[in-house]
Amino acid sequence: METNAVRMLRKPVSAKGKLHREQRSFVLFSLLPIITLFLVFSVIPIIWGTMLMFFNYNPLDESSPFVGLAQFQRLWEDEVFHKAFVNTFKFVFIAIPANIVITLFIAIGINKIHSTLWRNTFRTMFFLPAIAPLAGSAVVWSTMFNGNNGLFNIILEHLGFAKVNWLTDPATALLSIIVMTLWADIGYNIVIFMAGLDSIPDMFYEAAKLDGANRWQMFRHITLPLLSRTSLFVFVMTSISYFQMFPQFQIMTNGEPQNETRVLSLHIFDHAFTYLNMGYASAMAFILLLIILAVTIIQLRIGRSQWEY
Amino acid sequence: MNKWFAFCMAVVLTAAVALSGCSGSKEEGASGGKVKLVWWSHDNPAFVAANKTLIEEYKKVNPNVTIDLQAFPYDAFIQKLKASFAAKNPPDIAQMFGTWVTDYAKKGLLQPALDDSIRGNFFDASLGAYVVDNQLYGLPHEYNLENGGVLVHPKMFQDAGVNYPPKTWDELVAAARKLTRYDGNKIKVRGFDFTSGDNITFTFLSLILQQKGKYWTEDGHVNFSTPEAVKAMTALKDFVVKYKTTDMSLFGTEDISDTFFKGGSAMAIRGPWTIAAGKDTYKVSDFEYMPMPSFTSEPPYFAAESGWGEVVAKASKHSKEAWDFVNFMMDKEQALNWNIKTLTVPANKETASDTKLLEAVPLMKTSIDVLKYGQWIGPVQDRDYFFKQINDQFQAIAAESVSVEDGLKKIEKEINKMIDQHLQ
Repeated sequence: METNAVRMLRKPVSAKGKLHREQRSFVLFSLLPIITLFLVFSVIPIIWGTMLMFFNYNPLDESSPFVGLAQFQRLWEDEVFHKAFVNTFKFVFIAIPANIVITLFIAIGINKIHSTLWRNTFRTMFFLPAIAPLAGSAVVWSTMFNGNNGLFNIILEHLGFAKVNWLTDPATALLSIIVMTLWADIGYNIVIFMAGLDSIPDMFYEAAKLDGANRWQMFRHITLPLLSRTSLFVFVMTSISYFQMFPQFQIMTNGEPQNETRVLSLHIFDHAFTYLNMGYASAMAFILLLIILAVTIIQLRIGRSQWEY
Repeated sequence: MNKWFAFCMAVVLTAAVALSGCSGSKEEGASGGKVKLVWWSHDNPAFVAANKTLIEEYKKVNPNVTIDLQAFPYDAFIQKLKASFAAKNPPDIAQMFGTWVTDYAKKGLLQPALDDSIRGNFFDASLGAYVVDNQLYGLPHEYNLENGGVLVHPKMFQDAGVNYPPKTWDELVAAARKLTRYDGNKIKVRGFDFTSGDNITFTFLSLILQQKGKYWTEDGHVNFSTPEAVKAMTALKDFVVKYKTTDMSLFGTEDISDTFFKGGSAMAIRGPWTIAAGKDTYKVSDFEYMPMPSFTSEPPYFAAESGWGEVVAKASKHSKEAWDFVNFMMDKEQALNWNIKTLTVPANKETASDTKLLEAVPLMKTSIDVLKYGQWIGPVQDRDYFFKQINDQFQAIAAESVSVEDGLKKIEKEINKMIDQHLQ
């Protein structure tokens, strides 16, 4: 037998539960559009794309036979894939450090400017290339790198040097694309580094000056450590982006000469959309996903900060 | 929770249905006896103009049929075709490059020709890719050949005191060497150039055929381990490594015909379709299209792809009307006008022998004269992959990072692997 007191106690609980259910329904209902978009455009394509690597999938075919791990065996034997793998790492290992060093020093330089007008002017100037579509920039740079009448060779000729086949010489093709990528991409990181530099309190530098620290010591012992969270973000985002770089490789060289500029993303694209080997492309994309995941985890582990101010 | 799950599913399905509405499916067809056909082509201005003329002419005799010509940039066109056929939403008619047709036909995506008797009107080489299991799946406008003729600057011969035109292979090599000019270590004028994506392969195959060699096995695989293939590849390598009449610095960046028209080469082996670019784009007329001497004492045999032509989608709701329009395009007079306007070599034998063709395009004589020596390139399956393997290894051979024999073995292995996949 329930007493009145018990009934009295249950009543508010029940009302609270109903309210909680209603709140939960409202939250779920509110999130439904974004969850649907996320499922339709992210989760389902990723799962679908990953599953493809177990099939010989060609969208024009009626059937797609299950091949298990055969695509990975093929990857193991594919010399062009091996070359694309190495080229991707070459590109990333040269371009990312170059990007970080250049953007950090430019950001520090701009930060030293006292005039707001000039500071903003420089920041805008360096950011401008980032506004242009990468594909458009790649076309423009292709003409500048032209072996006969490109801008760089005209300059070299005027200076009395021999012309260089920038994009068709295996020794210079990848470096040329790296130069173009740096030009096109440094704007973002400069802005992020500038924001990071702005957030370092001046008192540390003032204290260091009183202690007689020189510029290098201030940079080494104050700027670099206190910028480590920004640097980590820049490292991770740049790594993810550079592992997937595609337009300039397709437009400027299409992987040539001798596959020296063939990177994984281009190789994946060719197999998926030129040869319609979607299953094989999916296996390569999965490898690329694992690489990016591993590199990101390593960077996050190494770059973990233990400080606050 | 079940209700919630059902609700979620309903939303997802609604979204999917709504999205499918954006997929470009269209209402077209017969209403009041009128039929609308959708026709896709690539956007080469000469092709578009010639196609529009065909539509106007057809409209005169079939006023009830409306043809909606949609032209796309070449690269986008290739992807759009694949996507539309994969989504079962293709155009009624597509102006496809012949080599692509085989794959679409094998996958049951094309409507076979209603009238098979027309087959005899075309050169075998131009029809090869349109025939699958002895069934005709489209009709070609064009005999797509890259061999037989060479773009040439006669004045360069005259200035260098070299006899023009070279009649034998040895004379060609000797002329190429004399005409080559270097500025320091950078090549300034290429004596003889063939280093474009198409021409490395086609020249290689033609040199095999001119030795009476074969590169196909009975079971549809390639065989490049023959002495003829080695000799052919060595001859090409010699132009780069031994005679230095060209180099690989243009590969992948600039078409060798563009270099030729800018005066960067004395001789360049490229298809007759490039003549139009010289005249219209570069506005030059100081060049000729001379016959390419044979590699041996045999006639100048060559391999050719089936060129541009028309196919009708199996999914078309008006395949009868579509085929009627395609057959109209192949009518002798229409075909002749189309070939003249697009400066393409006719696939139709009768059109090729029509004197009006050479009156309109005298430079095409060289190509017309060699059509009888052409044979279809064969069942390459994935054309891009096939050519890429040869181009990749040729670059390695020319850079002397791999021997001719090893390079050919790699080409053979990779192409046969691809063929196996397609034949599965």
